[in-house]
This record gives sequence, C-alpha cells and structure tokens, in this order.
Amino acid sequence: MTPLALAWRGIVRQPARAALAVLGVATVSALLFDMLMLSQGLFISFGHLLEETGFDVRVTATKALPMLGPRVRGAEKASRELSSLPEVASVLPMRIEWASMATNDDEELDVIFIGVQSAPEQPWTILEGDGLMDRVGDAQPPVLLNAYLAEVLDADPGDTLSLRGRCDGAGNALPTTEFRVAGVADFPYDSSGTPRVAVTLQAFRHTCGLDAEDAVDVLLVTSAPGAGPDGAVAAIRAARPDLHPLTNRQIMNRVQQTEFSYFRQIAFVLASITLFFAFLLIATLLAVSVNQRFGEIAALRALGFTRWRIVANLFCESALLVGAGGLLALPAGGLLALWLDGILRQMPGIPTHLHFFVFEPRALLLYLGLLALTGLLAALYPIHLAIRLPIAATLRNEVVS
Amino acid sequence: MSGPIVEARGLTRIFPMPAGPVTALRDVSLRVDPGDYIAIEGPSGCGKSTLLHLLGCVDGPTSGRLWFDGKDVAALSDSQRSRIRLNGIGFVFQRFFLLPMLTAWENVELPQGEAGASRAERRHRTAELLEYVGLADRAHHRPSQLSGGEMQRVAIARALANRPRLLLADEPTGELDEETSAQIGELLSRANADGNALIVVTHDPSLAARARRRLSMRGGSITGTTT
Repeated sequence: MTPLALAWRGIVRQPARAALAVLGVATVSALLFDMLMLSQGLFISFGHLLEETGFDVRVTATKALPMLGPRVRGAEKASRELSSLPEVASVLPMRIEWASMATNDDEELDVIFIGVQSAPEQPWTILEGDGLMDRVGDAQPPVLLNAYLAEVLDADPGDTLSLRGRCDGAGNALPTTEFRVAGVADFPYDSSGTPRVAVTLQAFRHTCGLDAEDAVDVLLVTSAPGAGPDGAVAAIRAARPDLHPLTNRQIMNRVQQTEFSYFRQIAFVLASITLFFAFLLIATLLAVSVNQRFGEIAALRALGFTRWRIVANLFCESALLVGAGGLLALPAGGLLALWLDGILRQMPGIPTHLHFFVFEPRALLLYLGLLALTGLLAALYPIHLAIRLPIAATLRNEVVS
Repeated sequence: MSGPIVEARGLTRIFPMPAGPVTALRDVSLRVDPGDYIAIEGPSGCGKSTLLHLLGCVDGPTSGRLWFDGKDVAALSDSQRSRIRLNGIGFVFQRFFLLPMLTAWENVELPQGEAGASRAERRHRTAELLEYVGLADRAHHRPSQLSGGEMQRVAIARALANRPRLLLADEPTGELDEETSAQIGELLSRANADGNALIVVTHDPSLAARARRRLSMRGGSITGTTT
C-alpha cells in the first residue's frame, strides 16, 4: 500500500475530524487566496482600466501623474507635433474641470466636466445615442452624459441641458452654455454616484471662458502599430524634451509605489498572518494525529517500516489535508473576494470598473506554492516527533498506559 | 543458513532516568537457533520485554553484542535494521497494534508490500495466512469489527507475512481470556512447528509450558533455564 493510500485511509478513518480539519485549512486558505488577489488586484485592475481607454501613452507637462500637475501649454501645437511622429498613431488632448447644472428639482449639481478634441478615438464607450464626433456640426454643441447623470436628469439623446463652467476655481460668474445630449457613455473612471459629462475641447473652453487658453491636462496617445508604447515614448521624448510621456506600465508602476502601496502592505501583512495561522493549524492537526498514533507508528517501525516510510506517510497526510482544504478554498475564497470587493467598491470616488480583488494565474500559482510550502513546514515538527520515536520505549509505554 | 538466528553476548541495557539510571537488563547471553521455542517468564519489570526488544532489533544494548544471522546488529544502519525486522523478524504485540483503518486482509498484506512482494504474491500469501489463522471469512473486516482473539490471530498472520526466521511475541495473550489464550497458544505452537523460531514473553504458565526452553528472569538477569 502506497504512503498516499495509507494516509488517505488514515484520514477517512475519522471523517468528522478530517472534515473539520479540511474546513479549518479551507478557511485560512481562502483568506490567504483573497489576500494574494488583493495584493495585486488594484494594480492589475488599474492596468485594465488604463488599457480600456484605448490609449497606451499619456503625456503631461511634468513628472506628475495626469491631472495632478501643471497643464500642458500650447496643446494644439504639441498635439500636431506628436501626431506627425511615425511612432504615434493618434493624439487626443483632454482637459478636466468641474461644472454645475440644474437638476429637474432646480437643485444645483456639480459634475465632472471633460473636454476632448473631437477625434475618431474617444476614451469611453457609447451606451446609447451618438458620439461627440457625430454631432459636432449641430446648432448646439453636443454633450455626453454618464449613465448615472442620465438617470438623475431623466435625460435622453436629443434633450438639451445647460452647464455652467467652474473652471480653475471660478464661481458662478460664468454664463451657462446650452448643450444637446448626443448620447450616454460608459466612462472608464466613472465612480458610482458621480455625475460626469464630456464635450468637445472647443465647447469646453467656451463654457469655461477659456477661449484663448490653449492648455490641457493630458495628451492621450496611441502608439503606431510596430512602434509600441516604449517606441512612442522615446520618439516623444526626442521630439519634445519639455514634455513627459509615460506608458501605461510606467503609470501603473508609479501608482503601485504610491497610491496602492497601502493595500499591498495590508495584503502582505494579512497574508503573512494567515499563512502563520495555516501553519499553526496544520502543525497542530498533524501533531495531535501523530501523538494519538505513537503506538501504531512504533509498531510499524517494529514491523520493519523505515523512518522514511513513516515520513512519507505523514507528508502524504499533510498533503491530503492541505490539498483538500486548499482546493475547497478556491471557490470559497472566490465568493468571499466577490463579496469583499462589492463592499470596498462602494467607497466614494472608486471607479466602478476598478476592482480590489482580481484573479490572475500568478496569484493562483503563488497561493498553491505558499500553501504547499506551509504544509511542508507544518509537517516537519510532527515528522520530527515520529522519526525520533523510540520504538521499544513507546511500545512499553503503550502497554503500560 | 544453519548457524544461530540470534546470538546475544553480555547484553546490558541501562535506561537513564531523572532519579538515576535503571539497569533493566544485566549481562544476558542467549542463542536462538532455527526451530527454537523459548518462553521468557518472570515478574513485571524483570527485563523480559527489554530483552525481547533487543533481540528484535528495536532497541540497542548499552553494552554487549548481538548478532542476527551472523551480522553484528550494532554495525548496521537504521534502515538495515529495519530491513532485518521486515524480512527476518515477526512481531506480535500484546495490544495487537493492527492499523485500525485497514481490513484484516490489508493489515496482513501491508508488510509484504513494504518488502516488495508482487501483487500476485501478496494476494496468494495473504489468503494463505488468513486461512492459516482461521480468519478467511473475516478478511474484509476491520479490527474494530473483530474480537480480541481474532485481532491477535490477524497480528500473528501479519507477523508471519514475510516468512520471518524469528517470531517474537510480547505477552500475546495478555489481553485475552483463557479460552482465547489457548487458541493463540495453539496457533503459535503451530507456527513454531512449521519452522519459525519463536520467543514468547509471557505471564501465562500454560503458554510458557508449550515452549521447549523456558527462561526465568529476575532483576534483569536470567536466573534459570528449563528445557
């Protein structure tokens, strides 16, 4: 009988205890799995979010991340120059401010106000109606609403609405501008309960009273096929050393080291604690199991079973407990992650497309590796007990007891 | 092999204890030849089981030397001693120590698998042994479904599984009633008659009476031999 078969028989011999042990391992393993998904979840999800926009390079005026530093002055010229680079496929200047508008109840509502140059590629998905480009020749400038705002206003494509720019901290001094709703869009950075609108850059400047100002927060760039984002960044740096292009990967790394580092650290600490609990649990279960079977083990040794055969039996027992618990933990951890993700994503300002817990093969491999290592280490003490067992003394003690 | 199976010379075993060392066995010499049937008797704590454990290579002497099939046991590695126990010695314990999760069949088959016997050999030998101990009809019962006497018969079958030259039984009837003890005694005698050298440690006079040589022990020494 192989060590695995013998270990399996040993486990199923006491099904209630085995079930409790597997449940215990599954519980701590599910937490470990979740912490590993959390440790990289925001990073990966943020990467997906950046990729979703369809642009792979972002150009700003300084080293600061987009929207967090000074604006790019002379945006039109910069946009033209970058567009002419063979490594660049398209450039989309974008500026973001605040605007206010009246709701159906005559209450003033602050909305995120985005201005982009009309171009075929836009960093959002049209859910209903048309895009800005399709309505740019209309008598009233077009506006896109996010789904939340469309619901609040009960607005449909073709409706008109008035926006008052609150740009660069300007109060109510600016006049309102009438817009016609072109469509409803899904904005990648939308957070639940946050109204958002997008208009053309020209209409944006007009609404903000900035007709003469040629500044944007960021230039969204799509690299040319074959050049890739790194090639585009190199070309932009060479052409405009005063600008700061960043690939999506570079932005992700910057954010990972700053904004997301808290989650990474928390996940690391919690994963370490969970691993420690898993270690204690498995070690205790196996140690108790070995203690209860001293007589059996001594008898097997007396019958000629080698120390290594006993070690193999215990390793197999550990592997079965950890394996069963670890596998059970995957669906359990997945469900728990969905639940926790739902709670965390309700925090204000969190983009609805951003997830805290993200499944990825690397997290699964790391989980399996850590669990296997924990099972291995946890089995060492019980194995030490078993192989150091004095056969004769144990047999004598078993009879006396 | 025509020489002695076991030869012990001047075996002494001292156990270090917190209150001071305890000499469990004192300068014991013994020779076990093929076909021997030896009973070791004596009061509790006289060193019977300690001697049996030394002869069975599960413990080592503090001083003295032991040869098994001509090999100096002290010179062997742990795995070599395991190999001797697996192939050359069969153990029968007072408390049976059958693996509770395995059936009678599997308990008897287990040491054969460890010794590398093929599936066909194991099947044949296991059936033969369970028939030998009269438990062919209980082959697929677990120990918890067997009586004490039946468990001990399975343990004897297991001890004989790898055709050992020496069978060691430590109080094999210690947990059994008189009638069952007689059956176990009969079975052990049969095993001896079939060619296995047998050493039995016992308090049971009727079991000891079956032996051809009876050793009396007291205070860690052999105080008398009756043949």
